[in-house]
Amino acid sequence: MKTGIGVFIAAAVALGASWAGLVLAPSLQLGNAKLTTVLNSTDAYPLQRPGMAAVGLQVYRANGCAACHTQQVQQDGSTFEVALTGAGKDPVTVSNLVATLKLTGLTKEAADAAAATIGAAGGKTETHLTATGADIARGWGTRHSVAADYLYDAPVQPGSLRAGPDLANIGVRAADANWQLVHLYAPRAVVKDSTMPSFAYLFEVRPVGAMPSAEALKLPAGFTAPAGFEVVPTMAAKQLAAYLLSLRSDAPLYEAPYSQTAKP
Amino acid sequence: MSEDQQKNCCEHSSGEPTATRSSAPIWIIVLTLALLFLGGVYFDHNSGWFNPRVYAPYQTAEQLDAYQPKSGAAAALARGKGVYESVCGICHGADGLGKPGMAPPLAGSEWVLTKGFNRLAHIPLAGVNGAITVEGKDWTMAMAAMGAALPDDDLAAVLTYIRGSWGNKAGPITGDDIKKIRAELGKNPAPVTGDQLKALPE
Repeated sequence: MKTGIGVFIAAAVALGASWAGLVLAPSLQLGNAKLTTVLNSTDAYPLQRPGMAAVGLQVYRANGCAACHTQQVQQDGSTFEVALTGAGKDPVTVSNLVATLKLTGLTKEAADAAAATIGAAGGKTETHLTATGADIARGWGTRHSVAADYLYDAPVQPGSLRAGPDLANIGVRAADANWQLVHLYAPRAVVKDSTMPSFAYLFEVRPVGAMPSAEALKLPAGFTAPAGFEVVPTMAAKQLAAYLLSLRSDAPLYEAPYSQTAKP
Repeated sequence: MSEDQQKNCCEHSSGEPTATRSSAPIWIIVLTLALLFLGGVYFDHNSGWFNPRVYAPYQTAEQLDAYQPKSGAAAALARGKGVYESVCGICHGADGLGKPGMAPPLAGSEWVLTKGFNRLAHIPLAGVNGAITVEGKDWTMAMAAMGAALPDDDLAAVLTYIRGSWGNKAGPITGDDIKKIRAELGKNPAPVTGDQLKALPE
């Protein structure tokens, strides 16, 4: 075979190119990722998961949660909104002007123009940035997921199939340990029509005995243990619940900015 | 197999096959170059040039810079709410109404709704130890200097939140204000009582 060396070189180039693109470039780009800070503050992000939650990641992995749940919020774009914060010396003119302007769902340029128009009339404004996209509309997050969200996870569990909802912010959506445990024990008890299997084997149904356990689940009617028995989470269940509660990727970051406009 | 048949069957093949040279058609070269060009344009437009902080839907670091939201009053309140709930709310309550026998209310408190914020800032920075009257009720307090370990801007945000929530309407505080008061107090200031606070300027 006279062209053997040519075939070898071509194969090496093809494999080398895909290795460079899929392994080398991402490693150079994100391999040295460090702690970042929350936007407009000095808070470090992300925080180490507490001990129980760090072990809970392995329970999450062992039970194959990532087979049906993702942990990655997608974002399609972002919109701006101009909010009036002060009417200045001439409130009537400013409020008349504001009534004529479109102040929500703006592009960056339109928002700057609207803010400048109101500013020229003496009003004070704040410009708010909101992330948009199907996942965000479903309430799964406030911004897209970025590499910093997974900094301390080994292995990262981003998932690829959504038989269940995205869990990137489940700790924000359901910040109640009892809810998480009840949901793991009997998913239909708290989410009607849920297709999630019950993880009852992470719990122990045992006789109440002399003293009821402080950790016993508070189950809704119809799902309670037989009389004289109580449902107590095992260590694995508590670790998994702690991990789920620690899933909070909602801090605004430089690479994933949005305006926090939570009203007190 | 006879010699005749063998000759018949293999008339056209003479020995080993050989590769011959032929030039590639020009359209393949043009197509490849066009695809490379389009790929380059797409890459230039969407990649952020390998900047690790640029993610879709953002396209360049410049765009990301321009999109950064300013830290407005709403952001400070949201930040203060977070700090309040993790540091202060445990005793003073998420609703600012305090807890009997534990911590006095902050909603409507005369110590919060002062014109200035010097007295108010002393409370988390130095702590309170002893008698203090809040909204007509006498308290005997032993509050640690909960704010001493907080960064200036965190403490400013939480005081701004306390002064602007639950019906309270008092002005905001900035991190620089806190820095000044912290510098005046020095390291490990002694906890104050209500009377000592009253002796301070508002």
